[in-house]
Amino acid sequence: MSSVVNPFTGRWIMEPKTQNVWGNQHATWFTLMGIGGGLFINRLLFGIELGRFWGMTWADIISLALIGVGGLILIADLGKPLRVLRALLNPRTSWISIGAIADFTFMGLAGLWTLADLNFGGGGLNLTGLPWHGDGTLGLIFQVIAALAAIVVIAYPGLVLASSPSIPFWNSTLIPMQFLVNGFASGLACGLIYAAIVPSDVSGDVLTGWLSLTTGLLVLSVFLQIAHVLNGQYTHVAAKVAVRRLLSGNLQVAYLGGVVLAGLVIPLALIAYALSDSAGSNAAMAAGIAGVLILAGNWLSKHTVIRAGTYASLF
Amino acid sequence: MTRWGMALDLERCVGCYACSMACKTENGTPDGVWYSPVYEKEVGTYPNTKRMFIPTLCMHCEDAPCLNACPTKAITKRTDGIVLVDQTKCCGTRACVAACPYGAMNYVHEVQGAFGGELIQLEKQSFKSTAGTVQKCTFCSHRIDAGKFEPACVEVCPTKARIFGDLEDPGSEISRVIRSRNGSPARPEAGTGPSVYYLR
Repeated sequence: MSSVVNPFTGRWIMEPKTQNVWGNQHATWFTLMGIGGGLFINRLLFGIELGRFWGMTWADIISLALIGVGGLILIADLGKPLRVLRALLNPRTSWISIGAIADFTFMGLAGLWTLADLNFGGGGLNLTGLPWHGDGTLGLIFQVIAALAAIVVIAYPGLVLASSPSIPFWNSTLIPMQFLVNGFASGLACGLIYAAIVPSDVSGDVLTGWLSLTTGLLVLSVFLQIAHVLNGQYTHVAAKVAVRRLLSGNLQVAYLGGVVLAGLVIPLALIAYALSDSAGSNAAMAAGIAGVLILAGNWLSKHTVIRAGTYASLF
Repeated sequence: MTRWGMALDLERCVGCYACSMACKTENGTPDGVWYSPVYEKEVGTYPNTKRMFIPTLCMHCEDAPCLNACPTKAITKRTDGIVLVDQTKCCGTRACVAACPYGAMNYVHEVQGAFGGELIQLEKQSFKSTAGTVQKCTFCSHRIDAGKFEPACVEVCPTKARIFGDLEDPGSEISRVIRSRNGSPARPEAGTGPSVYYLR
């Protein structure tokens, strides 16, 4: 990377210019936080536990780990990582600030709530006696606040992009909506992968429920993708340039092949197959493959949205 | 209340880059950082073509998107409308760089001198940059505060293509010229209320 980042440097011929500020590390932390938040909420709503480890559900452990790693990538990307706590200071107007507060809130409350399930060695290390354990009043308060923080964690990277007037393709509420839908779909995808690995742990009825929900979210995602592309095509010349890069430019393979085909169309087909053959032995495997593709499609959707970002020209 | 602004006359700018260089020496910016670059555009169709020069700088917006995006409150707006970055508070998220519609924010990965390698003595003395933070045009607020009501770029412009003054004073030269020449800001649709106007 060059020593100075400014999207407008170089011979600027007053045409829309691709942003060079954010890249793949941002796509990665956006994705990890989306999957982590989605998995936590889906675990609360639909009981996607993914098995247990020392009494704690793998879903909780993985969601904490993903959001933690996402946060570390974000911190590592800062120019002055030691000043990270200053990022909490401007929640009135900065979505990054709001997101940072939500990250810390989630890590604190979800972490404590998960830890209260710890039961290792048959009483050797048992924290289930903590007052916020399980679904008691305090436990429910922890869950609700952590879930609300998780929703912010999923959506705020999208809101950071959407609040930017400089890049018309990003400047749309359709982006945080996509991030939310992708996050929830990715949480369910983790359940589908688990069903393929440990089919005995997921009953046919439960798997059918997860598959139906995933179908709904993927269909919604298709509509949001179409709406975003059409919105870009007809709102601003710089957004139109971004859409052209997605549909016929250097991002065509990643977008049409990765996001649309591999991340949406093929998973929908696999899920349709799994639903039609829910009693068959291949249903769980098809669901698992769909889950992996949904996760990959999620990362690619962030990657392509970020890479397609194009600054409008001054005049 | 004073609101400082600038008018840039595109008919007068001849692309001598004196403003860019004056800014660089005044503010001690490292290699690659230009607070006030001048861009070049070819217009027309051969053989009827001409070159246009378009000076730019921070627009010191009324509703500055950089300020709103900054999570650390490192970006502030003074009562006279000047938007400043405090490098001691910036943590380098680059949210402001992405948010600015005018490309005015410069994120400095590392402070490099013009000759590569180590900084020369002059650069060591003049550079005010901190690596890993963002910096941008200050409208030479240090000069304004010292009672010299003209940024360095305005002072050196040989064609008087830059006019600096109080936008709130209807009798000021800048207000009069914006009115008479129908001056307009860049990208008005971004809705940021820039303090810099272009005269075409």
